[in-house]
Amino acid sequence: MNGLREDLSATGSAVLAEGEGLRVTPPSIAALGRAVAVLRGHLLPVRVRGNGDAPVEAPPGGALLELTALDRIASVDGATGIARVEAGCSVAALETSARRAGATLGPLLPSVRAGSVGAWLAGPTRGERAVPGSRRETAALSVSAVLADGRLAESRAAPRSATGPDLDHLALGGSGRLCVIAAAWVRLFPAAPPAYAAWRAPDLASALRTVEGLCMDRLTPARGMLRLQERGALVALSWEGPESARLLRERAVRVVGPPLEVDAGPEVRAPASSRAIEVDARWSALEAFARHSGAAEVALYGMHAGGAFAVLSLAADGVEQCAAAARTDGARLVAPRRLRDAGPAWEAMGAGAAWNRLVAALGAEERP
Amino acid sequence: MTAPLRGAGPRGRALERDLVALLGPSAASCAPADLWAMSRDCWPRSLLWTKAGVAPHPPDVVVWPASTDEVVQVVRYAAERRIAVVPFGAGSGVCGGAVPVKGGIALDLKRLSGPPCIDLPARTVDVETGMNGQRLEELLGGAGATLGHFPSSIYCSTIGGWLAARSAGQLSSRYGKIEDIALAVEAVDGTGQVLRTQDAPSAGPDLLQLLLGSEGTLAIVTKARLRCWPSPTSRWMRGLRFGSVQAGIAGLRALMRSGLRPAVARLYDPLDTLLAGRGGRDAHVTVPEPLRWVVEGAQSEALRLALRAPVLLNRLVDALPGSSLLVLGFEGDGPFASSDAREEGELSLRLLAAEGAEDLGPAPGEKWLANRYRISYRQSPLFSAGAFVDTMEVATTWDRLDALYGAVRDAVAPHAFVMAHFSHAYLEGCSIYFTFVGLSGAPAGSSDADDLEQAEERYDACWNAALSAACDAGATLSHHHGIGLHKQLFLPREHGEGMRQLRALKQAFDPQGVMNPGKLLL
Repeated sequence: MNGLREDLSATGSAVLAEGEGLRVTPPSIAALGRAVAVLRGHLLPVRVRGNGDAPVEAPPGGALLELTALDRIASVDGATGIARVEAGCSVAALETSARRAGATLGPLLPSVRAGSVGAWLAGPTRGERAVPGSRRETAALSVSAVLADGRLAESRAAPRSATGPDLDHLALGGSGRLCVIAAAWVRLFPAAPPAYAAWRAPDLASALRTVEGLCMDRLTPARGMLRLQERGALVALSWEGPESARLLRERAVRVVGPPLEVDAGPEVRAPASSRAIEVDARWSALEAFARHSGAAEVALYGMHAGGAFAVLSLAADGVEQCAAAARTDGARLVAPRRLRDAGPAWEAMGAGAAWNRLVAALGAEERP
Repeated sequence: MTAPLRGAGPRGRALERDLVALLGPSAASCAPADLWAMSRDCWPRSLLWTKAGVAPHPPDVVVWPASTDEVVQVVRYAAERRIAVVPFGAGSGVCGGAVPVKGGIALDLKRLSGPPCIDLPARTVDVETGMNGQRLEELLGGAGATLGHFPSSIYCSTIGGWLAARSAGQLSSRYGKIEDIALAVEAVDGTGQVLRTQDAPSAGPDLLQLLLGSEGTLAIVTKARLRCWPSPTSRWMRGLRFGSVQAGIAGLRALMRSGLRPAVARLYDPLDTLLAGRGGRDAHVTVPEPLRWVVEGAQSEALRLALRAPVLLNRLVDALPGSSLLVLGFEGDGPFASSDAREEGELSLRLLAAEGAEDLGPAPGEKWLANRYRISYRQSPLFSAGAFVDTMEVATTWDRLDALYGAVRDAVAPHAFVMAHFSHAYLEGCSIYFTFVGLSGAPAGSSDADDLEQAEERYDACWNAALSAACDAGATLSHHHGIGLHKQLFLPREHGEGMRQLRALKQAFDPQGVMNPGKLLL
C-alpha cells in the first residue's frame, strides 16, 4: 500500500487513507489520467465522486477518485446550446451558468440535479433527457474519458455522427467501470417560460394513461406531477420551448379537455416526497405501480413514447417498500444509490462473455 | 455492360459445398455473377472499377441465410476456420462498407424479410433486417403507420444497412436518425452468440448504441424493433429565400432552437439554389455555360473540358448572386392534421421573416418533395462521360458550421466542382452535404490501361483534401454514410485515443476477427 500511495502522490494528486482504501484527489485532468493509470495498473477497484454527489466510502482495497477539483466550466454558448464542463462540476453550478447564457439543462431528476456532471453522465440515466418528438437522447454531446492507461479519449462534438459505434457509450452509464469521465460537452436547451395546465383524473393509473397518451401523440410534457387527492388524481403538466410550449399546451387541452382553473405551475414544481424513489420505467410499469393501493405520487421527467424517469412514493410506507413495489412492476431503480440496480445488464442480453472480454481488452479488470 | 466475371476458385467451391451442407440446397453459390454482384456496393470508387472492367475484391462464396439461427451457423463455421464474413443488405452503401476486401463469405441478408409485426398503439414495429426500406414503409402505410425514415436510397437499401451505418432520412428533424428510431436489436456476434438488447430501461453502458453503426465489424443485426408513428395526413411545404448562406444558417438555427420541429428543413447554397431554378429574386439569373455543362450532364467532351479547370468553375460560382433557398415542411396527423401543420408553418414563417427570409410560397417545397429521390440515380452518366461525382456529409455544432462550409469548399476547389446543402438540423448543430464533381479520365469505352490508376489518384486527392479540411474544422467525418473502406484512414483523426476503445470492442465481440475485416481499421 505504501508503494501505491507514493505512486499516486507522484501523479500530483492528494492522497489520504480512508477506511480500508484511499481517497485520491487529482487537481487536473492530466493528474486524473496519471492516477487512473496507477490504480488500474494495480487492478484496484475505483469509485468516483464529484461536487454534490452523496458521500461515498473508498472501496475496500481500492480508491475513491474525488473529482471535486475538476469543477471548471470552460465555456457556455447559449446561442449554440452547448457547454464545456469538467466532470466534477455540480449540475446545479452548470445550470446556473447556463441560465446566465439564456439556456438550461432542462428538467432533470432530483438526484441528478443534486449531483455532479460526471455522476449524471456515468450514472444510471446515462445523462439522458427528453427532446422534442417524444424521444430521449443523452445530454452529452461528446465525452472526454480517461482510459485504463491514463490516456484521454475524446469524441467529436457533433450532434450526430456515423463513424462506427458510439464510443461515448463506453463511458455513459458505465459508473466509471470501463473508463472515467473527465469532462464533456453538454447540450443545452434555450431557456423560456414554461406553459402549464392541470386536470383531474379518476385515479393515479388513469392520470398516467393520460400522460402516456400525450406522449404517443407527440405532445410530450417537459415535467409532470401526478398526485392522489381526495376526489381523484391531479395531473399537473408543463411544456417547454420558446415557440412550442404554448402550442403543445393548447393541443394537449384539445385532446384531454378543459383544464382546471388553477395555477398548475406550483403543483408541477412542488418537491417530491422525501420518502420517494427514482426509477426509469416503461409506461406499463408506471401504471402498474400506480395501481398499488398505497401509491400516492408520481413525478415525471424525461418522458418519451416508451416511458419516463419518475419519482415514485407511497402514502404511508417507506423507501424500501416503494422500491420493492416498483421493482416488481418492472421499473429500474435510479435512486437512492444503495437500492440502485447493479449493472451492467449485458448478461441478460447474451453479452456477458463479450462484457468480460471488453473489460480485459480495456485493461479495466479488478483484482478479485 | 461488361461485368468482370471471374470463375470460382477451389476455396470458393469447397465453401459452397460446406455451406450447402449446413443450410440446404440453393443457400450458397460461387457462380461468377453472384460473386460479382457481392464484390461492390454503391461506393463511387467501385463505379470507376466497373468502368475499367475490374472487380478487385470478389468474395469466395455467397450465402443466403433465412433465419437468425442460420446466420449463427454460418458465423460459427467461419469463426472456427477464420474465414471472413461480410454482411450484405442491398448494396446501397457509398463508402465500400460491403466490399469483401479479404474475400471469404458474402452473407446476403435479403431472405431475412418476413412480415413485420406492427403495433401502432405501442408505436413499434418488429422487422427482420433484410427487408427493403420502401417495402417496409409500404407495409406500414397499409396499417396507417410510418417509420418516418426516408433516406434517398430507400428503394435500394435494407433495414440492416440503415442500422449498420447509422442512416439518416430526409425527414430526420421530425423523426430522428435511425439510432433514434431503433429501440432494440437481435444480432449475432463474431463468436456466433445471439445478442438481444432490451426495449426497456437497463443498467450499464447502452449495448444497442455500441452495435449500431458498427458496419458489420462486431455483429450482424438480424432483427430490430423500431419506433413507428401514425402516417401524416397533411403536409405544409414552403420555400424561403435568404440573402446569403450565413443568413440561412442563422435562420435555420433560430428555427431549431425555437422548439418547433419541421419534418423538412434543407438550406441550399447559392449554386444549388440557382441551378434548381427555384424561383424568387434570382429566377432571372443566367447560369454560365460551363456550370450548366457540369450540373446538367452535358456531352462528355464539354463536361470534361469544364472539369479541367475546377478552380475557375468554383470562382464562377462565387461571382453569382448569393441567395440561399430553405425548403421547409411540416407534417400533421390526427383530426387536426391540416391546421396543426399550417399553424407550425406560419409560426416558422414569422420567426424566419425576423431573420431576413423572403417567403417564396409553397412551390419550391412541393417541387422538392416531388423530386426528392431523383438525384441519387443521376451518377452513372457522369461516370461514363469521364467524370466522378461523390457526396460527403459531415456535421458540427452551429458555432462552427459556416467555417466548416468555407474550409471544405476552399480545400476541394482545386480538385473538383463543389456545391452543398445543409440538412439534418438539430438543436445544437447541423450536417452539411457536399457534392463534388471532378474529372476522372477518359469516357467509357475509350479507356487506356492507365486510366483507372489516374482516375483513382484524382478521386483520392479530392477526398483527402475534403476530409482533412473537415477534420481541421472540428467536424465529424460522417453524419450518416458511415466509414467503410472509404474514410477509414481518417478515423484516427476522428477518434484519437478512442481507436483503442474501438479495437477493444472488436476483441470483445469478434475475437477471431472474422466480421467484415478491413473496415473501420479493424
